[in-house]
This record gives sequence, C-alpha cells and structure tokens, in this order.
Amino acid sequence: VSQEDLDPDSTTDIEDVTDTKEELIKKCEEMWKDMEECQNKLSLVGTETLTDSNAQLSLLIMQVKCLTAELSQWQKETPEIIPLNEEVLVTLGKEEFQKLRHDLELVLSTIQSKNEKLKEDLEREQQWLDEQQQVLESLTVLHSELKHQIVTVSESRIFNELKTKLHDTKEYKEKLLITLSEFLEDHFPLPDRNVKKKKKNIQESTAQLITLHEILEILLNKLFDAPHDPYVKVSDSFWPPYVELLLRNGIALRHPEDPTRIRLEAFHQ
Amino acid sequence: MSVLRPQDQLPGLNAATILLVGTDDALLQQLADAMLKEDCASTLKVHLAQSLPLPSNVNRPRIDLIVFVVNLHSKYSLQNVEESLHHVDATFFLGKVGFLATGAGQDNHCSIHRNTVLRLAHTYRSPLFFCDLEVEGFRATMAQRLVRMLQICAGHVPGVSALNLLSLMRSSENPFLEDV
Repeated sequence: VSQEDLDPDSTTDIEDVTDTKEELIKKCEEMWKDMEECQNKLSLVGTETLTDSNAQLSLLIMQVKCLTAELSQWQKETPEIIPLNEEVLVTLGKEEFQKLRHDLELVLSTIQSKNEKLKEDLEREQQWLDEQQQVLESLTVLHSELKHQIVTVSESRIFNELKTKLHDTKEYKEKLLITLSEFLEDHFPLPDRNVKKKKKNIQESTAQLITLHEILEILLNKLFDAPHDPYVKVSDSFWPPYVELLLRNGIALRHPEDPTRIRLEAFHQ
Repeated sequence: MSVLRPQDQLPGLNAATILLVGTDDALLQQLADAMLKEDCASTLKVHLAQSLPLPSNVNRPRIDLIVFVVNLHSKYSLQNVEESLHHVDATFFLGKVGFLATGAGQDNHCSIHRNTVLRLAHTYRSPLFFCDLEVEGFRATMAQRLVRMLQICAGHVPGVSALNLLSLMRSSENPFLEDV
C-alpha cells in the first residue's frame, strides 16, 4: 500500500524534459493507474459495520486475513528501486546532504549556545572563587591580627599581675618594717639618762647612743650592701647590753678572729 | 446513513488527514492546533466532528485515521462515541482507529471508570491512549504521537502499514488488555 512515492517536483518541471524525469513520471503514472484500478475494485466491495457483540471476532478474523495477505505480499515482492542513473543519484544525494546539513547546523547552534552558557557559568564561578579567596585572605589577616592581640594582651596582663604582686610585697615589707620599728621602740628604748647617772663614772666618755632599731638597720644594710664582708665594727654608740642581747639570741654573730666586729645572722639564706 | 470507509476515494497528493471525534470542541481544537504545530513532511489535515455520521454532501479528503476522544468526566461523551462507532466501516479498525481518554488526572471528577474505556477499545481491537488534553505539555506529546501514527496510516512511511503498527502496538501498549 505504498501509494505515496510520488515526487511533487517531478510533475511540475516538465519544460526541462530530460530522459530521467520522463522515466520517473512514467513510473509514477503507471502506479497511479494501478491505484485507480484498485480503488475501483474496492468501491465495489460493500460496507460492513460492527456491533459490540460481533466486533471482536470479526475484527480478529479480518486481521488474520489482512496480515496473511500482507505477509505473502512482502514475501512475493522484490524491492523496487528508483532507476539508478547519475542524475537521480545526484539529486537524492543533494537532498540527503541538505537534510544532514540542516541537522548539523541545528546541532552546531545548540552546541554553541551550550558553550556560551558554560562560558558564562565558568566566568561566574571564577568570579565567585575570586571573591571567596578575597574573603579568605581578609579573614586570614584578621585572624593573625587577633592572634597577635591575644598574645600582647596576655603579656601585659602578666606584667600587670607581677606589678601588683611586687607592689603588694613592697607594701607588706613596708608594713613589716613599720611594725618592727614600733615593736623595737616600744620594747627596746634607749637607757634612761637618769638611771644611768649612777654608773656615770664608768661610762662618762660614751658617745651619743643609738637605738636598737638603728643598730639593726646598720647591720642589715651592711649585710645586703656588702654580702662578701658583712661585719660591722662595734662602736661606742652601740649600747653594750643590746649588743649582748643580739649575740645571745643568735641574731648577730661575732667575727671568729676580731671580737670587735659583728654581723647579722644570714636568715635569708 | 453514510458509513465512513477508509478506501472510498483516492488519496490526496502527499496529504494525511485525521478525523477527531468528540463532544468537547475546545479540547479537540487545541489538540488540532498542537498537531499542526508539529514538524511533518506530509501535508497535515485535521478534521473535527462532534459525532458520526458526517454530512454526506460535503467534499472531503480521504480520512486516514479516526481518533475518538472520550472525556472521562462526561457519560454523554462516551455514549456519543459508542453511537458514532456504528457509522464506521469494519476495515477502518484494521489500524486506522484510535481511542483517546482525557481527564484521568482529576480522579474525583471522573464519572466513567477507566476499565469501561479499556473494554471499549479492546472490543474494537484498537489502541487506547490516556492523556490529559488540558495540560499543554501532555497535549503536545500526544499530538506528536498522533502525527507519527497518522503518517503511517496514510502510507507515508515506507514498509509499515497501519495494520502492521496495530499488531506491534498491541503487544507493547496494553499487555493487560486480555484480562479485562
């Protein structure tokens, strides 16, 4: 039932009569004649409509018949090809090529637009990457700054802590010294002049006496100022009972060779 | 009463004609427009009809394919199709008839069961398509399918006849039809 092998162009261009075209047209006209004959035969066949009850069976029977007929037709038929002369081949080839070109052009434009899109995507991604890198950079800078700050902060804190500790210690020392001097003043006063008059004969020539506080201060200063030679010469201004007190209680020590010199016991070592 | 026959006149040159039969004019028109938009080597002609028989006094080309459109939301549309079927020659059912059921997407609006149309298509040994014609994408796909089918039914595809296509579709399209 391949009745549509007619080529529309072959019927219109009859002025330019070549052998090929004539041949083709002849073929087509033969086919058309065949078709008309078939049509005439068909129109003689009566119509048949279906009812729901008989439809399936009669349709199946018809299908079997028609499929069998088609099968035998296919088996009988040898495929007919269009006369293979040069011009027909050239025309067909041209058509085929044009179709191919059209298809390829479509593919090309699709690919191009795809490429364009990909390029845009790439650019956008690149930009995004740059931005991200910038963000990263500035964040790194910020990070290192913060790190630095943290270090200095802790250093200065330690410094401050030490300062306050030092201050506290100094204060404590100050307090201790004051308490000590008060204690000494209260409990170790200088010998009363009036009481001393009785023994005036002995100690007439004694120079002005200094307090126990002052004696300790001299000893202490000597110990720390000249640790290699902490001995102090016992002068006349040292009241002997106090020197004796210091020596007896182990607060001061006499020089092993020179009894006129004493030093403070090194409590701090 | 005139009965529609597939071979009652000679074919037009390079022409393929489809007849859409259904009660829903607007939907048929949209489907026809979608078909005409399809890229096709043959000259497409789409005829619309509410029901068969067609008026006999009009000059019309040979019909290559009839598609009966059933709207599942309306019992009347099914009844109309069933009555129209009596005006179609038996030879048409050798591959040149299709059924199209629309509206299956909105289940709650359906007044006809799917199986009813399945049975109808099975009785007439013809393919049945389900497609919501109101959805544009589905309609376009359906139109493309119908155009391909029409080209085969009009004999524009060398080596494949309508009956050939029908026997191919039966095995793949509705394998469960035998159980209905």
